[in-house]
Amino acid sequence: MLDHHGVEQFLYREARLMDTHAYDTWLELWARTAHYWIPCNGDDIDVTRHVSLVNEDRPGLEDRVQRLKSGAHYAQDPPSRLSRVVSNVELDQDSSPDALVVHSTFNLSAHRRRRLDVVAGRVTHRLVLEDGQVRIATKKVVLVDNDDTIMNLTYLV
Amino acid sequence: MTAGAPIRYADLVLDDRVHDSVYTDPQIFEEEIDRIFHHGWVFVGHEGEVPEPGDYRSRELGRQPVIFARGDDGVVRVLMNRCTHRGAMVCPYERGNSRFFTCAYHGWTFRNSGGLVGVPHPEQYGDSFDRDALGLRPVPRCDSYRGFVFASLSVDVVPLVEHLGPRVLAEMDIAGDLSPGGRLEVTAGVHKFGYGGNWKLQLENSVDGYHITHLHRSYFRIQEERSGRDAMRFATAASPALVHSLGNGHVSWDLSPAGFGGAAIERLRNTPGWPRDYYDLLVSAHGQARADEVLSHGAGHVAIFPNLVIIASQLRMIRPVAVDRTEVFIYPTLLSDVPPEMNEERLRRHESFYGPAGGGATDDLEVFERVTAGLRAKVDPWIRIDRGLGREVVADDGTVSAQITSELSNRAILGHWRRVMSGEASVRLSPRRSTEE
Repeated sequence: MLDHHGVEQFLYREARLMDTHAYDTWLELWARTAHYWIPCNGDDIDVTRHVSLVNEDRPGLEDRVQRLKSGAHYAQDPPSRLSRVVSNVELDQDSSPDALVVHSTFNLSAHRRRRLDVVAGRVTHRLVLEDGQVRIATKKVVLVDNDDTIMNLTYLV
Repeated sequence: MTAGAPIRYADLVLDDRVHDSVYTDPQIFEEEIDRIFHHGWVFVGHEGEVPEPGDYRSRELGRQPVIFARGDDGVVRVLMNRCTHRGAMVCPYERGNSRFFTCAYHGWTFRNSGGLVGVPHPEQYGDSFDRDALGLRPVPRCDSYRGFVFASLSVDVVPLVEHLGPRVLAEMDIAGDLSPGGRLEVTAGVHKFGYGGNWKLQLENSVDGYHITHLHRSYFRIQEERSGRDAMRFATAASPALVHSLGNGHVSWDLSPAGFGGAAIERLRNTPGWPRDYYDLLVSAHGQARADEVLSHGAGHVAIFPNLVIIASQLRMIRPVAVDRTEVFIYPTLLSDVPPEMNEERLRRHESFYGPAGGGATDDLEVFERVTAGLRAKVDPWIRIDRGLGREVVADDGTVSAQITSELSNRAILGHWRRVMSGEASVRLSPRRSTEE
């Protein structure tokens, strides 16, 4: 599907789209059946019995983007200014020709209204081919502070 | 306001307005911590958080650290998190399960019920050393109702049931009876977030019916598009939904007149799968009349002064950190003895609105910070809370009711706050029946 360089370029592109609030283009990266997950209070919780920070399928993702574009999601009005570094990109051995499992880390500076937050974590993407395009089937974000108080996580991570 | 001068609380909260210093003055905040959080009943946690012997949570009453623990004997206690030897915190973790709490300093070891069981090298203490008198100190007062555990650092408080009053107890009964098993499970984790602003902003907003249709429209409009139902109608100025002042600063929403009764029950009964199964389970557990009653009234919000809010699918604990800094811990609740997919659905719905990445509560927190920023403008220091003033209805039991977008909720909370802070009526007194609540 993609070689290591191609995977890196895909992740960098996703990072730029999130940093620049290019919501619609970011949404286009996702597969028709998708799952976006940010666990809460731990890294490997059972989502049937435990709350997550984000646990969304494709319709949930579309709602999120629609809210962000509505002009009335005040927690992102004005939007945070974002810059993230994506690194440690690693192709998992469980990858197959049809689906790449990719690990990476990120370090994000988020500035809004005189406050600079640092957000960091590990990410696992599962990338698939859909209509000849690479798409995100699942994305799991393990934040280092997922069990601590987080003030505002309404931008994309 | 001159620092150190006595604060005239009666001048700060009037019937129709409140002075901004109530939210911004550090001296007032210090006095709130002392009078409200260190001398009155404060919510500590729900027994459903510590279902097994040895389960514990670290909590704070105002600024004082406590351990909320279920002992090996099955009893839930609130113990001061302080070694009786040299004062070190004996439980450094936020949550866990342990038979013992061992102080890291000299190794004094306490049972999860508080008793001192281990003192390394005791021989230097002599015969008068009374181990039995040196257990972890329990809070002076601790009581619970339907699993909701409250504590007071002062002995001199009215009984808990009197502080809560019959209407709040009835709301807690509803919260419990929404489960066929009659109890909440509070094991689904916690959303922790916060804001740069005063703690009362979150308490008042939890029962503010006026903000829904504006502040949360980005969230609810999408819900409406998906469901085809008018998701915000309950909070319009024409809504028959009500807000009640229940005494002692406690406030509830009653959404049942706005169709959360009949229509919601009909939807449950007519939807195959978990909705119909849940309804049937609830009827066989409590009988149809009680099932319909709790379903009609169980969608509301109940703000319990000073730091607890019960909402249909969550418990919300408000933690004052500084005059301009507050943490909000939201515990999604699971129902007991229901189809598992129902609890899963509850969690997914909860996540979409609440928490630091949610689509609704984040806008509340944003507004609390904008209020805090706006209150720096001092030409007119007053905040209006007069919406619906004079339109309240007083029932025989003293409950004051108004249309849901009335600011009766603010007047009730702040009116009680003023009485506690001024000593006019302290937290030790019974609910006062007054239309000003």
